[in-house]
Amino acid sequence: MKKLIGKILIIVIPLIAAVILLYPTYRASQLDNMKKSVYEMATKEKNTTDSLARIEKFEEKYGKDFENAKLQRLKLGLDLRGGMYVTMEVDIVKLIEESAISETVDDIFNEVIEKTRAEAKNTDKPVLDIFLANFKIYARPKGKSLLTYFEAGNMMDVTEDKIIEKLKKNAESAIDQAKEVIRSRIDKYGIAEPTIQKQGNRRIILELPGVSNEEEMRKLLQTTARLEFNLVRNNVDAVKLFYRIDKFLADQAKRKKALGIVDTTIVANNTESSTITNEDSTAVTADSANVQKTSDTTDPYAGLSKEEASKRYYADHPFTMLFESFYTPPGGEGKTQPINYAVNQFPVGDYSFMLYEQTLEKFNRILNRPDIKVLIPREIKIVREAKADERMQKQNQIKSYYFYVLKREPELTGEVVTDARATFDQTNNQPVVMMGMNADGADRWAKITGENVKKRIAIVLDDQVYSAPVVQNKITGGSSQITGMANIEEANLLEIVLKAGALKAPVQIIEERVVGPSLGEDSIRSGLMASGFAFLFVILFMLVYYSKGGMVANLSVLINVIIVVSVLAAFKGTLTLPGIAGIILTIGMAVDANVLIFERIREELYRGRSLKSAIDEGFSKAMSAIIDSNVTTFITGLILYFFGTGPIQGFALTLMIGIIATLFTQIIVSRAMIEMVLALGATHFSFGQPKELKI
Amino acid sequence: MRFFHGTKIDFVGKRHIFFWVSLTINVVGILAVLLMGIEYGIDFEGGTELAYQFSKPIHTDQIRKAVENAGIKDPEIKSFGQSNQYLVRVKYATDLDKKIHESFKKNFPEEQVLTLKVDKIGPKIGIELRNQAFLAVFFAIIAIMIYVAFRFEFSYGFGAVIALIHDVILTFVVIVVVNKTGLVNLEINQSIVAAMLTVVGFSVNDTVIIFDRIRENVKEKQKGVGYLKLVNLSINETLSRTINTVLTVVIVLLTLVLLGGPVLQGFAFTMLIGIITGTYSSIYIASAFVIWYLGKFKKINLEEDDPKLTGLKTAKA
Repeated sequence: MKKLIGKILIIVIPLIAAVILLYPTYRASQLDNMKKSVYEMATKEKNTTDSLARIEKFEEKYGKDFENAKLQRLKLGLDLRGGMYVTMEVDIVKLIEESAISETVDDIFNEVIEKTRAEAKNTDKPVLDIFLANFKIYARPKGKSLLTYFEAGNMMDVTEDKIIEKLKKNAESAIDQAKEVIRSRIDKYGIAEPTIQKQGNRRIILELPGVSNEEEMRKLLQTTARLEFNLVRNNVDAVKLFYRIDKFLADQAKRKKALGIVDTTIVANNTESSTITNEDSTAVTADSANVQKTSDTTDPYAGLSKEEASKRYYADHPFTMLFESFYTPPGGEGKTQPINYAVNQFPVGDYSFMLYEQTLEKFNRILNRPDIKVLIPREIKIVREAKADERMQKQNQIKSYYFYVLKREPELTGEVVTDARATFDQTNNQPVVMMGMNADGADRWAKITGENVKKRIAIVLDDQVYSAPVVQNKITGGSSQITGMANIEEANLLEIVLKAGALKAPVQIIEERVVGPSLGEDSIRSGLMASGFAFLFVILFMLVYYSKGGMVANLSVLINVIIVVSVLAAFKGTLTLPGIAGIILTIGMAVDANVLIFERIREELYRGRSLKSAIDEGFSKAMSAIIDSNVTTFITGLILYFFGTGPIQGFALTLMIGIIATLFTQIIVSRAMIEMVLALGATHFSFGQPKELKI
Repeated sequence: MRFFHGTKIDFVGKRHIFFWVSLTINVVGILAVLLMGIEYGIDFEGGTELAYQFSKPIHTDQIRKAVENAGIKDPEIKSFGQSNQYLVRVKYATDLDKKIHESFKKNFPEEQVLTLKVDKIGPKIGIELRNQAFLAVFFAIIAIMIYVAFRFEFSYGFGAVIALIHDVILTFVVIVVVNKTGLVNLEINQSIVAAMLTVVGFSVNDTVIIFDRIRENVKEKQKGVGYLKLVNLSINETLSRTINTVLTVVIVLLTLVLLGGPVLQGFAFTMLIGIITGTYSSIYIASAFVIWYLGKFKKINLEEDDPKLTGLKTAKA
């Protein structure tokens, strides 16, 4: 009797355990349906207070239950649910590059960075190590040390080790910080049940189920979101600087021409000049006297034809010809007029500058040249607007961008921003993001705005100017706003990234897989159908060939599959399509084990053994073969799990679980079932052998 | 009901013929693959793959024109699952889905095109995945060789590995050839490699079952029976089980190939080929190798009962 109970327990306990483990999955889907119907009713009844109350009651009663069930349920992989799988890499090279003191950056440093970047592409070594190795090779022989380019804390006390330590800490914290910031962004965006994992020393892997707008997601993930408030310095010093750049380039070109060298970066290109609108050429000839009323105008192009004058102007001013400049007299009363740089005499006042899309590249190229960089004072930087000027685009179908000369050091950064809200500006129906600051920020903001009334402050996000409004009066309370977004969706994204925080180091998406929901449903359907057929066929075959023994095997396989699925749920694993394939394969392999056993039993019966002893022999002799063959498959599963990614791992996991379950169900449970039947008094058990054996 | 009971097929007698046949097929296969070139999926080469569903089958040329009109160079158009579903493959780029969708709208105005999936792999990750795949196959084979050598004997481990390598090569060749015919999309990508690894695990199953029987027969052998006869006996004895198991797994895989949908098709097909070659190699190659090795290096007398055989380590069963 004891033995019988033991055998029953062997069969029953795993089943009960499985039911317990799988219950949350059932409960979650049950509550999901309930929730859906409650919300549906609410929308149908147009959100009457009654239905809203019903929703509240539902949440109260079942909310927590639902959350718990969702945590413990069997999750469906992205390939079955639809969604986005993203691998992102943190650009540590950029982080190191930006940690360097910008004025000290020279060709040698850039070379080390380039070599580091190229090497980092092909290896998984920590980027810092690669950088230091390359620094040793390329920079030290030229007499440079880390101290040349970096600083670490106290100026008096800095050593190379301290610098290395600081860079290392930055790199490590950058990845963790990136993970947190991205988690926060995804959370605020509203993705349910995302998976975020660190991989190696610079990668983050994301699984985002149910994402429908991939482009938005990509923006959300890759925006650095560095917010800065900079003072605008579009003053006479700016234009004087531009004039100096012009002169430098023109002189250089003349010298090179004398030597027979042509520099394509600055030689005036005829096609380029013709794209600049007529306003410019008229300004050169007619208006040069107009604008510089008070200055002594010695028109250097007097007496020349219009064309000749233009040509000479462009040759003399290769930089400023790329954009248009405007002057507004101080006090904001006078008219804004275009100006040119023919004469080095500029009145005090407000200036603004407009670039064209076609000249953008050349503009940036010139500004990035090391010999030009030294001309630009340390305290300023030149930043363009994010959005193209609407008026120009509507009127002339040309994309143009204003750019600003800004004080490099920001007055305030995004760290003080504690709140953001995307909404519509009531006055002009443009999207706007309202921001709130913490106490410290509010104080500083009040001081800054107080000191700069009637001047402009630029709001810069990721090195692009979103707006540069004129400060009307001192702002207390720490409120400010960003305008200049293209649409409300962009404003919404901005709200999220401002609230979640900026990334310390830029991140880049290197792998992206998107499964549409319809493919997901198809996959579920075909997966289930294939499993169903496989199962059906196996059951039939076993019944026909091994008769009652086959029945036992079938029941064991059924328990096997239930166990695999419940163990998967217990491990909080996800079921993917390859995972379903793994289960189907497990069915095949499980049956194999029984085939081995039953063939052996039949053999022993033919050799003349009694039923009981044949069964014993069958199980024991087949054991070694079953174990060996399953262990080898398990080994390959293990290797697949460690070398594979995503769905492949899902397959390996179900395969391995399936093998362990097989060893249990097909050997122990099957045996228990057979012996149970015999213990209950049966004298004959059919394994497909004929009723009466002729020995 | 009983099949294959009491068969007395001579498997080892003609082993030399089978050896040469296999060797020839393998060498010819490798040459063919080298000549035809291997087509890698975007997993290993980097690139972008987009799958679309139309309401009815469309000629691939029209689809290609539409994609090229969107400004995309050199797209590859393949079938994907059902006859109205197609796969577009191009070099790695972003924002392609939008452009292609717009082009489809222009070129096929009555069609409602559904985007089924978009996969983008950067070239760096592609190379990484490829290297990992090679390593995985390599380690799997080594691990199995060690395990079998441990459970049986070194010569058996070696024999199993030879059979495995044969399986991997042959399966790979068949995959590349069938892919070229365009019947099934079998570009070498992660799931194909996963299938091959699973084949490695399975194929060893078969081999181990036969080895296990050989080991048992050697232990309890009747007097005067040479090794060759023992091997033959073992294979014949396990034939019934081999056929049954292979049959069940093959039908299970066939269901996957036919019903499992496009995502699993390559995987299931690869496994199917692998199981068949695996069975062949277990019967004709693995034991043949052990026989050869024992005869040549251990100088076992194969025809008659050789006392040296019992000296062989019979591992713990």
